[in-house]
Order: sequence, then structure tokens, then C-alpha cells
Amino acid sequence: MGIIKTFEERAGHIKQKNGTDPVPLACNNESLAGAVSQRACVYSGARVVLNPLTDALHLVHGPIGCASYTWDIRGSSTSGPTLYKKSFSTDMTVADVIFGGEKKLAGAIRELAARYRPPAFFVYSTCIVGVIGDDLKAVCKSASEDLGMPVIPVISEGFRGNKNEGYKAACNALFELIGTRDYAPESPYSVNFLGEYNVAGDLWAIKPLFVEMGVEIIASFTGDSRVEEIQRAHKAKLNLVQCGGSMTYLAKKMEETYGIPYQRVSFFGIGEISSALRTTAEHFEDPEMMERAEEIIARESARIAPEIERHRSRVAGKRAAIYMGGAAKAISLVRAFGEIGMDVVIIGTQTGSRDDYKKISYIVKEGTVIIDDANPLELKELLVKQGADLLVAGVKERFLAYKLGVAFCDFNHDRTATFEGFDGIVNFAREVDITINSPVWNLPIERVSGARMRTEVETEIGAEMRREQSSVIDAGGETVV
Amino acid sequence: MSENYATVNPCSMCMPMGSVMAFKGIEGCMPIFHGSQGCSTYMRLHLAHHYREPVDIASSALSEKGAVYGGAANLKKGLLNVIQGYGPKVVGIATTCLAETIGDDVAQIVREFQQEEPSAREVAIISASTPSYSGSHEEGYNEALKAIVRTLAKRGRPNSRFNLVIGSIVSPAEVRQIKSMLNEWGCGYDYTLLPDISETFDAPLAADYPKIPEGGTPLAEIAEMANSRETLTVGGSVLVGGAGDYLEREFGVHHTRLPLPIGVELTDRFVGTLEEITGLGLPEKYERDRGRLLDAIIDCHKLVAGVRTAVFGDTDMVLGVAKLLCEMGMDPRVLATGSKNAEFIRWGEKMAPGSEVLSGVDFSDIHESVSRNDIDLLIGPFTGRQISKAENIPLLRVGLPNHDRFGASRQMVLGYEGATRLVDGIANFIVEMNERGG
Repeated sequence: MGIIKTFEERAGHIKQKNGTDPVPLACNNESLAGAVSQRACVYSGARVVLNPLTDALHLVHGPIGCASYTWDIRGSSTSGPTLYKKSFSTDMTVADVIFGGEKKLAGAIRELAARYRPPAFFVYSTCIVGVIGDDLKAVCKSASEDLGMPVIPVISEGFRGNKNEGYKAACNALFELIGTRDYAPESPYSVNFLGEYNVAGDLWAIKPLFVEMGVEIIASFTGDSRVEEIQRAHKAKLNLVQCGGSMTYLAKKMEETYGIPYQRVSFFGIGEISSALRTTAEHFEDPEMMERAEEIIARESARIAPEIERHRSRVAGKRAAIYMGGAAKAISLVRAFGEIGMDVVIIGTQTGSRDDYKKISYIVKEGTVIIDDANPLELKELLVKQGADLLVAGVKERFLAYKLGVAFCDFNHDRTATFEGFDGIVNFAREVDITINSPVWNLPIERVSGARMRTEVETEIGAEMRREQSSVIDAGGETVV
Repeated sequence: MSENYATVNPCSMCMPMGSVMAFKGIEGCMPIFHGSQGCSTYMRLHLAHHYREPVDIASSALSEKGAVYGGAANLKKGLLNVIQGYGPKVVGIATTCLAETIGDDVAQIVREFQQEEPSAREVAIISASTPSYSGSHEEGYNEALKAIVRTLAKRGRPNSRFNLVIGSIVSPAEVRQIKSMLNEWGCGYDYTLLPDISETFDAPLAADYPKIPEGGTPLAEIAEMANSRETLTVGGSVLVGGAGDYLEREFGVHHTRLPLPIGVELTDRFVGTLEEITGLGLPEKYERDRGRLLDAIIDCHKLVAGVRTAVFGDTDMVLGVAKLLCEMGMDPRVLATGSKNAEFIRWGEKMAPGSEVLSGVDFSDIHESVSRNDIDLLIGPFTGRQISKAENIPLLRVGLPNHDRFGASRQMVLGYEGATRLVDGIANFIVEMNERGG
């Protein structure tokens, strides 16, 4: 008997930590038909990775839906261009499906290039393109030659794998841009951030810390970045990989081709951001930078300590459930919950790998349930069974939590608060605090009937009224009913 | 207008999206998309944002193998898992562009499935053909409604009921409002309303959270729709070939089609038709509501006079709101919809004479038209927000999708009471505009 009742094929994807051995979890395979996976598709994986590139033109070759549902989907902020917030589509119709959509695509690129003059195009293929056989690469190549600008095909037909394949497609597209522009870094210590999407302005909380250490950030992949920055990213001395699921592939490619080493880091949580700063300073083997890193860490940690303590005292001991797209964020969350005194009782991801789950099983406590590619039925049962007080996930899961009376913190595309850096962890602690300790969870779901209210149940207001009444009586006044 | 190659900021969604609002309006129904996993996830996300409710939609999760060798195995597996996991009374299959293009014969797959799985025979299975490239979410909704009656309506003894088909996507609160009106009318048990999303997309918080939201049109009632006296479809008035037409053609159930009841005249037409159908007069309460609507319109008529407005979104919603704006003495200059529909143009010119009526357009076209027409107020879904920001014109959010304001499930523009709320809403919106000097 499994931990909860679910489909036979799903049993291997749900395990409970029991002992010191790593938990072997089935993962990274096709989602089970009919199981209502929370995963999206290849196209979506590619789109979320590339979309934060603010000045690129993102053109979807497919029917209108694929563009409609991904329009400005990621809460990635910009410090300048807003072209990425527009939704471009070839809006394929029946005629295009029958006669092919290449002409329309070529026309669309021409038309949009003239109208918006972007520095580069990303052209995404959707399911249908793969089936009717439009030659996306050829159209992009010829458009690129005609226009004299990068027109990069993103091969992302929805059905060809899961979201991980989309990340890869996006990395391949980015790789085409890298190295196409020369640059002389201003600092000997230059880095790229890989897998930093500037959701709710995260990047802007991180960047100043590195700059203060004397590090130059050449490109952020891809939050608030410009095409030009990506093009010269090969000049960096180090790649700092945050969202490993989406960007390790690119880091490896850059290491092979340009000899840039990479380090896995996280900017979320006091411990994580501190070690990201230390790792960077140690990598550059600059004693002065190491010293500065320690100064920053000490100063910032002390600055936020009172706020963290205040929230910690209100949430310590509560039980958290984590369901994330990628494993890197999930792992950082476990540590962050540790910092505010909370226990993780469920942890899951959409796209974790075997290694990810191994790592997760080492850092979580005994009894924690680990789940891959969860569906709403499983999440519902687990939240109840594990007695979670809070779920951290995305919008699709938010309303499930609310229906179960479980507090919720959005850690996905839609959040509006910065969670990275030192102020970010304060924001996170605050959000966790206000949702867990909200009075809304104490509202009575069942109304007390009139009869019961008179006889059995003493409500606060009722008691108050009675006190007032009796004081009137005590004072010798008349009783008013 | 941009050329015809690229769509910039779409003003419509795809066909499978519309099918969800039809399927989730049936009792115990679980929808499944036959296609790749992403379609279901994206549309769940889109609808969860709008309704602020959990929205479960399954997927046959077609992979490369499925796309090459056909998706029958995946769809059967998906159906079985949905039935075992959710215990539905009905499963609604909507095809996506992928399934349609690889040429899967869904009807045949369903027949085979029902033979192979005796345990699933109790479950009705509906399939709607909704390839994304064939139309917008409005056509998908219309197509799914037709598929529902095609599968579930059964010829039997004539009954004395009438069918009320909600032909456009409206809010759960609006369906609740229409139901309570009919119940107070005295025809509580004499009509079948399809689809009934009044509870399914706006479920009250309760101690027990069911796998499939409660509510929806009962199956037994849908079966009887073939034997009703007549069908009245409100909304979807510029679409063709919906559930009402199907019932008329197949079972001879007389069909009347009306625009969505928005504003005085269109609600009068709706109410008048109901009086004819039921032989009963409008309950006094609603006569008084009607009077209050007139009162509300007169109260603000000077404030709103001549305010140049652009209305966009779903066809019937745009037409009805434009009509109401005319009744208020406002100036609906631009009427626009993302669906390609010639009837919309014809009706738009009738509802708001002298306005610019656009069909099959994107928000880039609407933006140009807004600039050209010196617009003061935008009314439509939240997807118009970039125009609002760029031009500094306030956007009153009406219709689907609305991701950035609360209460989309409780929005009411239908009927006398809904129109009254909209009139007050527009007037207050304009007051705030004026106060901000906008």
C-alpha cells in the first residue's frame, strides 16, 4: 500500500523519506494520460526561459491559443524595453494547416521586423508545425539573411517531450546568439547569471551585492536582459547557475565551447545568498573580494535579523508543503524554511531528475513525502494527510490549497514580491507569516444554527452581549431583549 | 490595420478553451483534451486566474509516439484514468489541433473504449471537435454545447419543458441570476438550463471539497431536451449551428435565438420571449428592477453623455454592452472582437449606428482604432490593459479573461439588475476618471 491512493503507474513517483538511504523516485518520464499533470509542454518550457529577454521579438508559429495563454505570462520585470510583453503569433488557420504555413511565417517576420525593428527574433514552433512539416529552420535562415539580423528558430513542438526538452530548445537558441558580439569586460571578475529570470525584480536585489564585491555582470539569462548582453556573454569568466533545471545544459555548452567554468548557486535564503557571494569570491581567489563578501554578509544579515526573527516567532513549527516546477527552487525553499523555523512535510517538482531527488532526500527530514509530477488529487490527499499549514507553489495549485483551508505562498511566475537577496527573504517570511496567521482560516465553515447558539455554543460576540445585559441587570436597569 | 500575416496581442483564445465552459456546466463532468499535455495545463492556468477556482482538465498527454502512430492508446488510457480517478458521470473530450491534424477518429476510439472497458459503460462520453485553428473559444463553446446535446439528448415522449441555452460564455453569478429569475417566475421545474456553471466555477467554501465541483445541468434533463416544447438560446446570436439548431433539426424542437440580455431593450426582448413561452407574466419584483435600471440610467445621463467608448471582447458581450451604452447616451465608437464573424459586423452597425465595427482583429488593430477615434473609455477583458497603459485610457474590465481584478465569477451585466450594476459601475468609473483629471 502506498502513502496515498493513486494510479498504479504513479506509485513509484511518490515516496516517503524513511531512513538514511536516498529515496529512489521515478521521474523525468512522460506524464500519465488522464492524471491531470501540472506540467506544461515543450513550447512552454522554451517560452518561459526565453521570454524575459526584453528587447527580443518572440513570435509563435501556431494557432492563436499557444500565444494567448503565454502572453506576458512570466512576472519578469524590465528596466527598459517592453517588446517581450507583447504577444506575436502567426495565428494559423485551416488554410495554413492544409497548404503549409511557411509563407505566412516569412511574411509575419518581414512585417514585424519592419514595424518593431527588434535586435533579434525567436521563432517558436508549436505542435501543429511539427505535424504539417513546416521547415521553420529554413524560413528563419532565409529571413535572417534578408534582414541581416538573428532570426533564431526555437524547435519546441509541444508533444516532443516534456518541459525539460523546452529548456534545452531555449538553451540551444540562446547558444546561437552567444559569441556573436565582441566585448572587453571592465572588470577582471566578470560573471553571467544563468537561470535568473528577474521575477518581481529579483535580479535588482542581487546585482548590487555582486557589484559591491567588484564583480561585473555581463548578462543575466534571461531576466531583464538585452539581446546584446547575451551576444557578448562568452566574455564572462564564470557562470553562476541558479535555476539548474533550465540552464545547466547551457552552462555545460559554454564551458565546452568557451572554457567558462560554472558554479551552482541560489540567491534565495540567507544561507544560499551568502554562499553564492562566498563561492564567487573564492572562485576568483581574490582575498579582498572574500573580505568584502564577508562584510556584506555580516552587514546584511544583521540588518534583516530583527525582521526575520519577528516573522520566525510567528511561524516556527508550522508545516510547509512545496510543489515547484524545478528542483533548484524546491531545494532552496527547504533551506529557507529552516531559516524561519518551519518543517517541510511534502516536497515535489514537475521536472526534477534522479540526482535532484537524491539531493532532496538528503536534506529533508524523516517522514517527508517526496513527489514527482504530482496531480491535484494526489496533492489534495497529501496536504490533508501530512497536515500541511502552508503550500508554496504556483497559481494552478493556489486555489486547491484555499479550498482545503491551507495557507498559500506563490513562488512562481505570478508573484509580485521580490524573494531573492536579503530583502527578498524578509518579503518571503512576511508573506508566509501573513497567510499562515491570517484570521480567514478561523472563520467558521459551518454556521452555528440558531437553536445551538442559544443553548450550546458561546460565541465571542454572544458572551459580550450577555455581559452587557447582565451589567444592565446588575445596575438595576430593565432587561432589554 | 496590420497586414494579415502576424497577430499582435490576440483578442481571442482557441476552440478547446471554450469547450471547458460548456463541459463544466454539466453535472459530474470532467473534461479531457486530446492533445499534448501543455494545452490542458495552460488553459487550467488561464481559467484559474480568471475564476479563482481550481480547474481540473485532464489530457491524453500525447507524445511523439502518439503523434506518429495515432493517439488512440493515450486517449483510452486517459479516459480510463479520468474515470477511475475522478469518478465522473460524464467525460467531455475536446480535441486539440494536434489530435485533429494527425487524423485521430475520436468517435471510433470512444466506441472501442466503451466496448473494451465494461466498467466505463456507465459513464457518458462526449466528444467535440475543436481544432484550435478552426475558430476562437466562442466557436469551441458553441461546438461543445452541440456535442453535449448530440450525445445526451434522447428522443422520447414530448414534455412541457423548455430549453434555455446560454449561448455565450457568461459569469457564474449571471447564470445564478437567470435561474433565480426563472424560479421566481413560477416555472422552476419547467425548464432546462444548459450549461449551468453557476456553482461549478464559483463553488462556495465548504468542509468537504469534492473532486468534481457540485452543480451543473443534470444529465436526465439534458436527455429530455430533445422532447421539450422549444429552445431559447440567449447569446451566441452571431454564431451558427449550436445546440438549439441541432435540437431543432434533429428533433423538431422549435428554436428561438436572442442576443444576450444586456440593457433595457435586449432584456425586454428576453423577458418578453419568456412571457410568451411560459404564458406567465414577469414577476413584479423584476418590473421594479426594470424601473430601477431606468432610474439609474437617468441619474447618470449627463455625466456619461457622449463619452467615447471602445468595447471589445466576445461577440455578444460587445454587442449587448454597446447597445446599453447607446441607451445611456454614451458614444460607443469602436466595437471589436477577435473572432472572425461577418454577422458581428452587421449586428454591430445595427446596435451602435455610426460606430466602427471590427471583427477578427487583434489588440494592435484595436489600439489603432482607439487612437483614431479619440476614445475616452475602454470596456472589455483585461487583455486590453496594454492599450489602457499606453494611451492612459481607463479600462473597465468586463468578460473573459480577467486576471488582474477580483470577482470575475461574480460579475453581472445581464438582466435589469446586471445592467443597473454596470450602469453604476460605468458612472463611478467616469467620476474617478474626472477626479483624476483623466
